[in-house]
Amino acid sequence: MKLDYAALFNALRPEAHLALGALLVLGFDIFWARHRPANRHHVALALGLLALGLAAWKAVTPGGAGPVHGGMLMIDTLTVATRAGVIGLAALALCLLPSPSRLRHPAEFVAILLFATTGFTLMAAANQLLIVFLAVELASLSLYVLAGFDKTCPESAEAALKYFLFGGMSAAFLLFGFSLLYGLTGSLDLGGIATQLAAQGPSPLLLVALGMVLVAFGFKAAAAPFHLWAPDVYQGAPSPAAALIASASKLAGLVVFTRLLWPGLGSTVGAIAHLPITVGWAPVVALVAGASLLVGNIGALAQSNVRRLLAYSAIAHAGALLLGVIAAGRVGPAPLFYYASTYGLATVGAFGVLSVLEATGPAQKLIDVAGLHQRSPLLAGCLAIFVLSLAGIPPLAGFFGKFAVFAAVLRLGGLAGPVGWLAILAIALSAVALYYYLLILKQALVARPAAEAAPVRVPLPAALALLISAALLVLLGVFPSWILGLF
Amino acid sequence: MSPLQLCLVLSSLLFCVGLAGALARSNTILVLLGIELMLNAANLNFIAFWRYGPQPAAGLGVIFVLFAIAVAAAEAAVGLALVIAIHRHRKTVRLQDSTALKG
Repeated sequence: MKLDYAALFNALRPEAHLALGALLVLGFDIFWARHRPANRHHVALALGLLALGLAAWKAVTPGGAGPVHGGMLMIDTLTVATRAGVIGLAALALCLLPSPSRLRHPAEFVAILLFATTGFTLMAAANQLLIVFLAVELASLSLYVLAGFDKTCPESAEAALKYFLFGGMSAAFLLFGFSLLYGLTGSLDLGGIATQLAAQGPSPLLLVALGMVLVAFGFKAAAAPFHLWAPDVYQGAPSPAAALIASASKLAGLVVFTRLLWPGLGSTVGAIAHLPITVGWAPVVALVAGASLLVGNIGALAQSNVRRLLAYSAIAHAGALLLGVIAAGRVGPAPLFYYASTYGLATVGAFGVLSVLEATGPAQKLIDVAGLHQRSPLLAGCLAIFVLSLAGIPPLAGFFGKFAVFAAVLRLGGLAGPVGWLAILAIALSAVALYYYLLILKQALVARPAAEAAPVRVPLPAALALLISAALLVLLGVFPSWILGLF
Repeated sequence: MSPLQLCLVLSSLLFCVGLAGALARSNTILVLLGIELMLNAANLNFIAFWRYGPQPAAGLGVIFVLFAIAVAAAEAAVGLALVIAIHRHRKTVRLQDSTALKG
């Protein structure tokens, strides 16, 4: 095997910029900003955004396509789009950095966020089991630390511990599943695994390996029945960390999952478009998707906490996204990517509104957003766009995401088979979802504010992030071909 | 049984012991211990497949294990840090006492 290290370095330029940027943020903080406490926050934020900007520029100018370094990495349209997407979502989350009084170590926070983004961009390009495992773990370990970053708050530590215990167990499942795949095929890169599996056909050991990998990714994507960590983590984690976990982590995880399942394990998909069902991973993914849709939408109805409500809505969206994974083999990853990225934008925005509110008082219960239209019209307007996009109201991007995914799923086999029925279930549950999304908007736009509630001052970076996400949701909803036409 | 089968049975048992420990223990440190056992069971699998597999020439399995050990060490460090963070607030590491977030 002849290895080309120049091409490898060329392919990893975004990751190199992110990692160097993280070290630069830390170094600058130690040697310069520590002695100027007034500027510490702004310097960390500016350097972090600079690193993300440079990495995004390198990500969209890859300078070559195809497999890199003997198939370890794959640079294609999906990689480029996903890298740009996760870097953009991370930049939006970074703009929500809490105020200096609530975050005593801004440089460390920014550096770990950059490391997590490095993991996400690596996940977007990974095409070999070892790289997949390392990228997922780099991202996860950084996210555990970010979730527990607020040392003054017991809930933050508890959320991080729960996230870590679930995530650690899922990492063990992932590694065990990968070891069985390696044993079955004698190969680590997805192309070699695909050729070996196509020659072998299904075996019981392969089913065990598939099951373990699916359990692991179910944990990562917060799909039922592996969703138990999500509400607690969304509630307890600091807002930028929760926004990152809900958006960029989900996008990168779904892309690496799709790459693993379709190019890698595509020969063991099984059939669910028509009855009778044949054994493979698709029936299991469909079952998890259906369970997530039901648990997420019905669980969200009972919530009085906005963050937990968003978490249950995330579980429901994970179900719809998994339907997109099933459809990706026939129609390509475009609908899935469109759905995941616009969902990420809307979630980052919703957490952004909560993080701005947090600076003025508690922002946990539904009644904490009461009367937002009087306290800050900007926040209320942005929140309306984000929540309506999550609910899937045209012309916002959330509607076209749902439309593209469900249309792709129905193209698999029409209404003749289980996967078509799942699409109908998802459409019916969207009506249920509208109820709890409108509960948030009723509080924000109709209810009167509490007597002691003061007007909210929105910091400049957060205001920019909110306006950019809201504008993108409207624009991408009106021109969905900007993303759908890329693939 | 061939040596490969023996190794796989051993690693499966180790994985199950780790999983049972991780699910049943109430002490956070012991749950961490269970997760480490599960990771090491997977490492044992890699080594066994590399040693007794059809093409042991490519050292892929061993390389994977080296990386996995490093990842497990990093994971243990993060996990213990989080245990300390919980202990600072609650003065206990029993999982049953982590009940502030629920609903």
